[in-house]
Amino acid sequence: MKAFVVALALAACSPARESGVVLWHAYTGMERSALETTAANWNASHPETPLTLVAVPHDSFADKLTSAIPRGNGPDLFIFADDRIGAWAESHTIEPIEFWVDDARADRFSAPAMNALTFDGSLWGLPLATKSLVLYVRTDLVKTPPTTTDELIALAPMMKKQAGFAVAYANADLYGHAPWLHGFGGKVIDDDGSLAIATPEAAAAMAFARKLVADGVAPADAQGPMVASLFNAGKAATVLSGPWFITDIVKDVPWQVAPLPVISATGKPAAPFLGAESILMSAYARDKTAAFAVMDALTSDEAAIIRARDARQVVANPAAYADPQVARDPVLPVFRAQLEHTVPMPKVPAMRMVWTPYQNALGEVLAGRSDPGTQLLAVEREVEGYLKR
Amino acid sequence: MIGESATPPARVNRADSTSGTRVPVLQRQLRDFAVAAAIALLIATVAFVAVRNTELRARQTELAMRTAEALVDWRPPLPTVRGVFVSPALPSKKHPMLRHRRIHDYDSAWRPLGGLSMDPTHTDDKLFYDAATRFEQLPALEMVEMMRDGSGRAIAAKATCTGPKKNCNVAIALTSPASPAPFPWLVIIGVLGLGAAIAAAGALIGNTAARAGMFAGVAVLAVPTMLWHAWIAATAILVIGAAVALAQRIQLTDRFATGLSKNRAALSFVAPAGAAMLVLVAVPFAIGIFMGFYDHHAGTWTFVGIDNFVEILSGGGRPLDDALNFWFILGVTVLWTLCNIVLHVSIGVALALLLSRKWIAGRGIFRMLLILPWAIPNYITALMWKGMFNGQYGAFNSILRAVGLDGVDWFTSWANSFAPNVATNTWLGFPFMMIVALGALETIPRELYEAASVDGASSWQRFRHITLPHLRPALGPAVALGSIWTFNMFNVIYLVSAGKPGNSTNILVTDAYRWAFERGERYGMAAAYGTVIFLILLLWTVFGTRMVRRKGDE
Amino acid sequence: MNRRLARGAIAPRPRIHDTGRLATIIAIHVALILLVAIVLYPVLLVCKKAFEPGRHFALSASPIPDHLTTDHFKDLFGARGGHGELLFLRHALNSLIVALSTTVVGVVLSCTAAYALSRFRFPGRHAGLTTFLVVQMFPATLLLLPLYVILDKLGLLNSLAGLVLVYSTTAIPFCVWTLKGYFDTLPRELEEAARIDGASTWMIFRKIILPLARPGLAVTALFSFMTAWNEFIMASTFMTDESKYTLPVLIQSSVGQFSADWGLFAAGAVVTSIPVMIAFYVLQKYLVGGLTAGAVKG
Repeated sequence: MKAFVVALALAACSPARESGVVLWHAYTGMERSALETTAANWNASHPETPLTLVAVPHDSFADKLTSAIPRGNGPDLFIFADDRIGAWAESHTIEPIEFWVDDARADRFSAPAMNALTFDGSLWGLPLATKSLVLYVRTDLVKTPPTTTDELIALAPMMKKQAGFAVAYANADLYGHAPWLHGFGGKVIDDDGSLAIATPEAAAAMAFARKLVADGVAPADAQGPMVASLFNAGKAATVLSGPWFITDIVKDVPWQVAPLPVISATGKPAAPFLGAESILMSAYARDKTAAFAVMDALTSDEAAIIRARDARQVVANPAAYADPQVARDPVLPVFRAQLEHTVPMPKVPAMRMVWTPYQNALGEVLAGRSDPGTQLLAVEREVEGYLKR
Repeated sequence: MIGESATPPARVNRADSTSGTRVPVLQRQLRDFAVAAAIALLIATVAFVAVRNTELRARQTELAMRTAEALVDWRPPLPTVRGVFVSPALPSKKHPMLRHRRIHDYDSAWRPLGGLSMDPTHTDDKLFYDAATRFEQLPALEMVEMMRDGSGRAIAAKATCTGPKKNCNVAIALTSPASPAPFPWLVIIGVLGLGAAIAAAGALIGNTAARAGMFAGVAVLAVPTMLWHAWIAATAILVIGAAVALAQRIQLTDRFATGLSKNRAALSFVAPAGAAMLVLVAVPFAIGIFMGFYDHHAGTWTFVGIDNFVEILSGGGRPLDDALNFWFILGVTVLWTLCNIVLHVSIGVALALLLSRKWIAGRGIFRMLLILPWAIPNYITALMWKGMFNGQYGAFNSILRAVGLDGVDWFTSWANSFAPNVATNTWLGFPFMMIVALGALETIPRELYEAASVDGASSWQRFRHITLPHLRPALGPAVALGSIWTFNMFNVIYLVSAGKPGNSTNILVTDAYRWAFERGERYGMAAAYGTVIFLILLLWTVFGTRMVRRKGDE
Repeated sequence: MNRRLARGAIAPRPRIHDTGRLATIIAIHVALILLVAIVLYPVLLVCKKAFEPGRHFALSASPIPDHLTTDHFKDLFGARGGHGELLFLRHALNSLIVALSTTVVGVVLSCTAAYALSRFRFPGRHAGLTTFLVVQMFPATLLLLPLYVILDKLGLLNSLAGLVLVYSTTAIPFCVWTLKGYFDTLPRELEEAARIDGASTWMIFRKIILPLARPGLAVTALFSFMTAWNEFIMASTFMTDESKYTLPVLIQSSVGQFSADWGLFAAGAVVTSIPVMIAFYVLQKYLVGGLTAGAVKG
């Protein structure tokens, strides 16, 4: 009994908040070890401001941040994609950092990445890496990567003979569907922040996706694991996915990446969402100057080289690609080229509520149970209902 | 008899005497004064904290504002206040989101404001920058506020010229940290002593004087609050004094004290659990109910009265078959609970009937294996079953394909979303009913069955007239509990169907959760939902059990 | 029927060599085996996944694995945290501490309250009973935010003690009701005799009632343990430090929305379920008695 009380007391004493800077992240695997290397470098050169990394599971990460930070229980810095910056900025959860950033510092990063972190005239973080979808191609099934959607569809007859598909991607998700949406000229949020969901272009994009499924070019309702299984088993000639897909590819499969094709119907390139993973500063950080110093170091060119080399991140520092080891990686240049044709992820708070209704709409249309027009109207109505107040 | 009183007979307690008036008057007076003074002290402390924060704020903001005005007139800042001028922001040509400002103290030269500087005199630079930015966004020509970092500093800003603010320098004043006045211990102790003395004196004089003394003694505690201009607190303390004096008159305080000491043992037994429930259940519960009257948006809470409740109960202005209409979700939840309970009870009772026969080999093993679903953590179960219903590689579709049928497209229609949920929860829930039924079956004497079969009763008649009446009193509470658990079963719905398709298989609890965490942090709405759910269950428990009990009495 | 009983009628016993009865017996056994198989099928699938390679479920529905591997268990036990410590061990220890402490605290707090509610009549008794029943109706997920704020004010966020407190108060209402029902069935003569002998209430409770109440206490302890061992929403909300997570958080995170490692999940599920199953096995003879005695009478 006594042992229990002692154990309980010991366990209950949370360690006193260390001085220094605390950074939360949701990295796993290679990205985590690369981040830890850069953090160790900081700690070696700045022992008076120790940096502590805390790994948080990805699913509850955003909720934890939103609830912990305003109560002072959150980190000083955290790594997250840019899509929630609008909501966090409005609720004063994150700190604008243009105070510390001068032109020289801003020149370090690529323009799309910088733009992704801008909201309401302020800069809200420093970018680590950009993420977008690209085309993964099985080189044993496809000789040259398709450059237009017609070429992509032309792969279908051959693949059908092996009970396979020309392309597999997470089609029931807005993120996976976005390349077609933007390629047809549709969008989700207008430039002035209002909803632009139910448009003819968006309907055309949905009809295109439906046609892919109906013609057997793409599987119905595929998700991440399914897409990986199909690619690995040779049942999908190409896949639309992001940098994370590399770890899912089994060892002996020959593959390469290529930029997304051009939509034959409109002549515009398929443009996925651009996600900028960045370091953001909590508005309640205790020592903001020290926190920025850490932010600065972790996004320096040296740290970027480590991340590009070890974790194959598409880092936002153009200078990092001059490093010989990084330059040898065949994958990174393709991702960088794709950057030219991306649409920044809308950051307005309304965007957060679009995902689930859009996903439901896509599900209905792809299964052939409904037509794009009605579904898009329903999505717009539902999101407007959430935004009522 | 045990039920009567918990007081061991050996101890002599003066409060046990007939009417309580034989308790020494002084002791009684001081006892009552102690209780009244404790409450009054609590009120006074709260008033003090509120007052001193207001007073600190007024003091600091006045300092800051006067300094800002002085700066605009080119006079030096007040002592202990730092005054600076901040230039308007010039966006950089290359990076428009980077705005550069400059700053100079009252008596020094312009320098750039910003960048990573370790100079100790520049620690407040960010504060000035942010204040200048905030000031530009406000329509007013001057701004003053307390810093939110709890240091007690105030910051004030004033434009140095008329005309558009973004072309002007702004004068900003930042006061030094200050802490609010410390708690006046001596005053309070002195006042307490004085009050106690007055009360005691009154008690020694006579009956009426005792009550007057009680009131006066407590009223003395109101004096400091009046000095702090906390009129509400002062009135509250006076009311308490009067109330206690009156309570003494009708001997309410004595009866209360007698009751407490008579039931001392019982109350002390209940106290630990009661205290834990109070702090960790009652208080969050009350907070939850209060939150339902507010709306939370982007970090700010606004009082909206019953708007949340109206929105919920009116279905949010949506048609009845819309999945976000409260009544639709309520219908789904009731259907969910009914299906589950019916299945749990029938399967549980059927298995219990099978297992209760003593001649089954390996009874213990069967029972152990059939309890297994209850032992496995229910989130694991939910994820497990979700995997089994996966369209491509789930076990169910594999089995269907193995016997030549097509796989089902799970989670695409309401029916083939609802069924997996029910299947999962049934798998989870029948062991509980089985155990309860087993226990009840074991209390049935064998002779009843034997006598009935001698009488020639069929097995159905034996079941209906012997088994069922014995099962009912045990199953009654189990069904009540089980229905509450099922009604509030979050994990299964959230993890298995996740409300798909659309939101149509959500039950009330998962929908409330989504309001809080997926639809823009509408915590107020979610709290109102929780209150409504609770009220529904309360009604069900009160009326439902009354109904069941009435049927059981027939 | 009572008249027949009074006359002492002898009832027929099932005669094994009667073929009709034999068929029924065999049929019932077969039915039971089939039912158990159906009930256990999902469990077998998960066990199979734990030993089969690959991150996703295989396409076959048979519960026998094709290839065996211990990779998932190696991944589970070998995962290391930011400071190089073994994560699984740390989380298992956290879960164990929290669950055992919850059991102790929950049972201790409940049994005293249940005894008072069962034996004494005092003002507020009925209100107390109703409160303990009513409290079970408020969904825990909605208390999440207020509890977060309260734990924060008490300084117990991100600490195992805070989690223990919250779990104990979640388990108390059910435990109080079960124990009260159980105490109600205990005869009062022993207590009355002891009281006449001059024993205090506390001594009666400790020396007479508690030893008699073992089945009820066992059920209460098991329920408290399970509540704490299996809970994941509050654990993942209140704990921000990776070293303070409990097992459910670890397992749940392996099948997140974007990347699911079912093999790791299965291995974790198998390992996490074992302690509860052991507890069930040890206490199962108490379950039937402890759970229903109170319900039947109360």
